[in-house]
Amino acid sequence: MLDITGLTTEFGSVTAINEISFSAAKSKITTVIGANGAGKSTLLRTISGLEKPTFGSIKWDGTELVGMKAEAIVRAGIAHVPEGHAVISELSVEENIAMGGLFRRRNFKSDLLAATNEVYELFPRLHERRKQLAATLSGGERQMLAIARALVARPKLLLLDEPSLGLAPLVVEQIIETINNLSRDTGLTVLLVEQNANTALGVADHGILLALGKVVADLPAADLRADASLRAAYLGY
Amino acid sequence: MDLFLSALFSGFARGSLYALVALGLVLVWRGAGIINFAQMGQAMFSTYIASTLIMNGQSYWVAFFIALISGALLGALVDLIVMRPLSRKRRSEALNSPSMRATIPVIASLGILGLLQALAGMFWAGEERGFQTPVANEGLTIASRVMPFTLFDIFIISIVAVVLLLTTVFFTKTGMGLAMRASALNQEVARLSGIRTSTVRTLSWAISGIASSLAGLLITPTSNLSPNTLDLALIIGFTAAVVGGLDSLPGSVLGGFIVGLVISFVTFYRSPEDVFLAILALLLLVLILRPSGLLGSKEVRRV
Repeated sequence: MLDITGLTTEFGSVTAINEISFSAAKSKITTVIGANGAGKSTLLRTISGLEKPTFGSIKWDGTELVGMKAEAIVRAGIAHVPEGHAVISELSVEENIAMGGLFRRRNFKSDLLAATNEVYELFPRLHERRKQLAATLSGGERQMLAIARALVARPKLLLLDEPSLGLAPLVVEQIIETINNLSRDTGLTVLLVEQNANTALGVADHGILLALGKVVADLPAADLRADASLRAAYLGY
Repeated sequence: MDLFLSALFSGFARGSLYALVALGLVLVWRGAGIINFAQMGQAMFSTYIASTLIMNGQSYWVAFFIALISGALLGALVDLIVMRPLSRKRRSEALNSPSMRATIPVIASLGILGLLQALAGMFWAGEERGFQTPVANEGLTIASRVMPFTLFDIFIISIVAVVLLLTTVFFTKTGMGLAMRASALNQEVARLSGIRTSTVRTLSWAISGIASSLAGLLITPTSNLSPNTLDLALIIGFTAAVVGGLDSLPGSVLGGFIVGLVISFVTFYRSPEDVFLAILALLLLVLILRPSGLLGSKEVRRV
């Protein structure tokens, strides 16, 4: 279980997230929704160690993550796919995936091979294009590659930041479907940040609504989806 | 014809030395975003160590490998003692501005260069040193005909060829090589992949130290060693790196060979005095026609 209490991250005098507290249940999909600038990305970046919180605590299975380096947090089983199809364009598809598993190559060599094959099964398009530079992929393929790079590390918790950004609805559906299957079949815990609230709430078990860096609703996804007044007030539809 | 061949061979031999210097500069530039002006000062220091060992009766090869190891250590120490502490966020916002963050390490590297030259002056009294080459540094004679190149040229070219081959294999075939490329290209994604980017950065400094110490060792037999003799190699190596593309490892090697050949042909066909003019012309030409260097990536990025 992911337990966040009183988490606050500031950039100079700007408070991006302000005393956030919530929990994300194991093997479930929890989505964090909210308008632009609500602090969703900062929340994920703080969990994965890219930003240092001013105060607060992030516990994964009882282990405190605050104070750990990003590269150590990955090793603790938490993978972050940041916003904007984060792959390295100048490396090939194959190298991007290999990069995600580099830290496991000494102790888990055979499992790394299996994990690599599994991500190729999950995204056959990547296997077809494994020799190509990531720069030559379409937006959807790049997003798949970013997710594959994270999955090859066999995370227990996947932090996904706006996977739908800039993609065609059909591709979004396909990616969301894959994440959903993965969570159901392998017990992966997912924290999904989305601006596209409808899609996210459709697949998630639980929903957290952020506004101006604060949690304004913490409800089962179906309830959050049904609450017209919350939607109108914070998401504008 | 012999003049042409002489110029060609000497150009390749010089070029491989500049390729090493440029490679060292590009490694640190890609890995840490710093132009390391102290690089040839570090190389001078480890070459002095080699010459001291040889003077005290050690064999060339023992001195050679100890110099390379001390080059690697010195490179790593520069990062650990100076550059890494400097890269930490400072309290003052003015010192954290992008331009200051870029300027501070450059000033620091100039400071290290001064320090190393002063220390060499203290330890070795700034005396000129040279050492015997393991192979003859004069025109090679085959079948009673004097060849247009020396055995030492062949020696330099083959050592550098082996080093470049090993470097290529390291970067393209090993996990650590992939980690180094990934960290240089996108530090955030590399960290999120579990790569310890600060360790990788120290490693770039160490490998750069090896490359430049090797250059120092191979330059010294033809031009005596003093605390300042390698300054010229830094300037020419930097030109080579810019010609080839500062962010490209193959580019640095290509740039090194081009600059070496230009210098050699100008020396043989015109006069040594025209060498600087020729390099300057080459540099200007490349900067006007291809500002990012021959193999450098353009600054345009796909969104």
